[in-house]
Amino acid sequence: MALKALDIYKLLPKKNCKECGDPTCLTFAMKLAGGKGDIDLCPYLDENAKTVLGATTRPPIRLVKLGVGERSISVGEEFVFYRHEKTFYHQPGIFFSVSDNDTIDQIKKVTTIVRDETLTRVGVDLHFSGLAIRNESGSADPFARVISAIEEIADLPLILISDNPNALNNALVHCGTYRPLIYAADSENYKVLCEISKKHGCPLVVKASGLEKLAQLTKMCTKEGVTDLLIDPHPQTLGDFITASSTIRQLAITRMAPDLGYPVFYDASKTGQQDAAIALGIVKYASVIITDPFSTASTKAALTLRQNIYTDPQKPIQMNPGLYRIGSPNKDAPVLLTVNFSLTFFTLEGYLESTRIPCFMLIVDTEGLSVLTSVAAGKLNETLVRDSIKKFEVENEINHRKLIIPGYAAPLSGRIEEATGWKVLVGPRDAAEIGEFLIQEWKK
Amino acid sequence: MEFNLNFGWSGSIGEVILGATNTDGGTRKRSYHIGGSSNLPFIDQKEFSESPLIAFEICDNVQYWSPIAKSACGDVINDVKDWAKTAETSYDADLVRLHLTSTRERGLRDVSFVKKVVENVLSATGLPLIIEGSNEPSIDSEVFQQCGEAGQGERLLLGTAEANRYRSIAAAALAYNHSVIAQSPIDINLAKQLNILLREIDVPHDRIVIDPYTGALGYGFEYSYSAMERIRFSGLKGDADLTMPMICSPIDTLNIKEVREADIQNQNTIAVMWEFYTGIAAAVAGAEIICIRHPKTVELLKKAFVALKTKNIYQG
Ligand code: B12
Ligand code: SF4
Repeated sequence: MALKALDIYKLLPKKNCKECGDPTCLTFAMKLAGGKGDIDLCPYLDENAKTVLGATTRPPIRLVKLGVGERSISVGEEFVFYRHEKTFYHQPGIFFSVSDNDTIDQIKKVTTIVRDETLTRVGVDLHFSGLAIRNESGSADPFARVISAIEEIADLPLILISDNPNALNNALVHCGTYRPLIYAADSENYKVLCEISKKHGCPLVVKASGLEKLAQLTKMCTKEGVTDLLIDPHPQTLGDFITASSTIRQLAITRMAPDLGYPVFYDASKTGQQDAAIALGIVKYASVIITDPFSTASTKAALTLRQNIYTDPQKPIQMNPGLYRIGSPNKDAPVLLTVNFSLTFFTLEGYLESTRIPCFMLIVDTEGLSVLTSVAAGKLNETLVRDSIKKFEVENEINHRKLIIPGYAAPLSGRIEEATGWKVLVGPRDAAEIGEFLIQEWKK
Repeated sequence: MEFNLNFGWSGSIGEVILGATNTDGGTRKRSYHIGGSSNLPFIDQKEFSESPLIAFEICDNVQYWSPIAKSACGDVINDVKDWAKTAETSYDADLVRLHLTSTRERGLRDVSFVKKVVENVLSATGLPLIIEGSNEPSIDSEVFQQCGEAGQGERLLLGTAEANRYRSIAAAALAYNHSVIAQSPIDINLAKQLNILLREIDVPHDRIVIDPYTGALGYGFEYSYSAMERIRFSGLKGDADLTMPMICSPIDTLNIKEVREADIQNQNTIAVMWEFYTGIAAAVAGAEIICIRHPKTVELLKKAFVALKTKNIYQG
């Protein structure tokens, strides 16, 4: 049961000392009530308040930050099982795995890919998240060498995979202050690994087969003082993964098993079906996914799926309505009407840029709906077009009065002409054909 | 303490039978019972379930078919019989979905050829068949009539019923004992409404497969994914008008920018990956039939579905 802000406030010290980062105890209480606060930030809580608040106010899945700086990522802090209930907030990090048996050249190559490769979709830059380094040599020196080589050329979140505490310690000399993720504590070694993790302030993965064991292990680690944990249910098959991760998510968000309230770690490279595992991890609650370096084809599909699933289903990615310029259009340049759904905007913009014909794009506010969808919903109509022409003072920018509308908006052409007094030219349906259209229809 | 995944479902997904073998009066080598699950996909403990199935899509006029799919399939595309046979023997699909694209020709009146095409495909493959009829209301009735009759006794799945055109397809399905695909644009309420309309003209629930409309990955899939999850969720919660199995047909996949404009050496793999990622996600969201146009995707998906059904440590 979630507590109300006032109930929480009653349990707080009421010093209003601001040490929690909030201006007053009451605002801190409100944050806690919204599931967005962390009780550990108030140093003056008594034991009773801690027990009462601990279980109910922290986010059901802990937020864990990996790496530092611009490319750091945060995972966890999710609230729902189905994205249609709200949305998913923190997309999974995808980490390319390398081995300390690889040559330094190979490793630098992979590091550069992770650092530089960018897929720009609907105006958003999509990246891989970081590198996972496996201590396959078994010894400490090569491990440390690889890590320092990576650190020389990139500030990326890292995952250190080793069961050798010496190797981890040596590696952490090079990267310990950058919050790498340490993999992995099990029931045998957890004390040592907790020590290491505490010493460097690094998050830690715990690994066990069986949810019961996992829950016990996270509990033991928190007793050791490590709370930035991820959990690896160590699935053997894709079926194991979907069952374990769905169960963990359900138990965590309902707070039935708070000890499972941590982000899930998934090593897709060990499944023999990496692409399937990545797709599965993205849709079914993985927070950190390890893969072998990818082909271009997998890259695009995986990053696109991740973007799709982590887009708020209630809020399409939108552009600000307005008059946009492609190149430096003069007063005779064409004006093309379209909607403010980002996907539509960037698709059309891309094709317009490649035509090299300077022009204006008039973006009207269809609340982020695509052309066909907004026509079907009645959101794109002549009144909107008329008002937008006025609002964005289009008539001051050009000498002509001609508007090119999307092919799918053809049924509106007559009404737009009437409402605006402009001449309407119906463009092609597919934006890919816009270049040809402009050359043939506009130039003449 | 043992952890169990219990959502308190009260319903289960209904079963639909596709294809009839000779014991049931048809000529198919196999038939499938899709649906039947009482939990989320791949979570349930049902020992043996056939879904998800992979339907390979072919057509009888390749003019508008994706060039990528055409070149991946090769010469067989020129004869719909060869193509259907190859889908079974070489691509290893579970179902063949025939799009009667020749009915899309403008001003077409005489559609009597449809019967022959369907018969040819039925004779070329032993797999159960999905048939996509026309896109043109004025010839709908005749086209579906021809399909229905040609496949009498074979338990076809006929497509596609939509809110404003479902009567002629329903009539053909009822007359000749087939099932129908009911498509609505990515909206749970519209899906439900169409199923109610079909119920009112006596199409039984075990003859309906829901098509929630699949936007391509990157082009609406985010909505389709959640619509599928919601439909499955409502079915399991006991909403009888949403308990039908689902089909995922991401028809735009091979036409979207990322695939169409990919550089030549990567294009094939991108096409396959686009279908593959969509197929996995859709199956996990609840689709029982996944439609595919690139032969290479079939095997990959099948392998993944086997792994998804295999559980060594975690039982649902
Ligand atoms: C995703 C989607 C949705 C999402 C919304 C996504 C969004 N942000 O718009 C959701 C689920 C919310 C939705 C809802 C609806 N949808 Co819808 N939806 C789609 C889907 C699958 C993809 C749309 C998309 O993203 N396209 C990609 C963008 C880039 O396309 P676009 O904007 O049209 O731009 C292209 C061209 O128009 C052109 N272009 C763009 N601008 C310009 C400008 C110029 C000058 C030129 C020349 C060209 C040009 O370039 C682009 C690339 O070629 C389509 C199916 C489809 N294949 O289109 C159905 C579809 C558009 N939806 C449909 C319907 C009916 C609806 C609803 C009315 C149904 C309902 N649920 O009530 C609602 C309406 C919304 C509402 N009431 O709020 C129907 C429309 C039927 C019709 N032909 O009229 C479609 C076609 C599905 C179908 N086959 O039934 N939908
Ligand atoms: S740190 Fe504690 S006592 Fe101080 S303002 Fe915050 S909640 Fe109040």
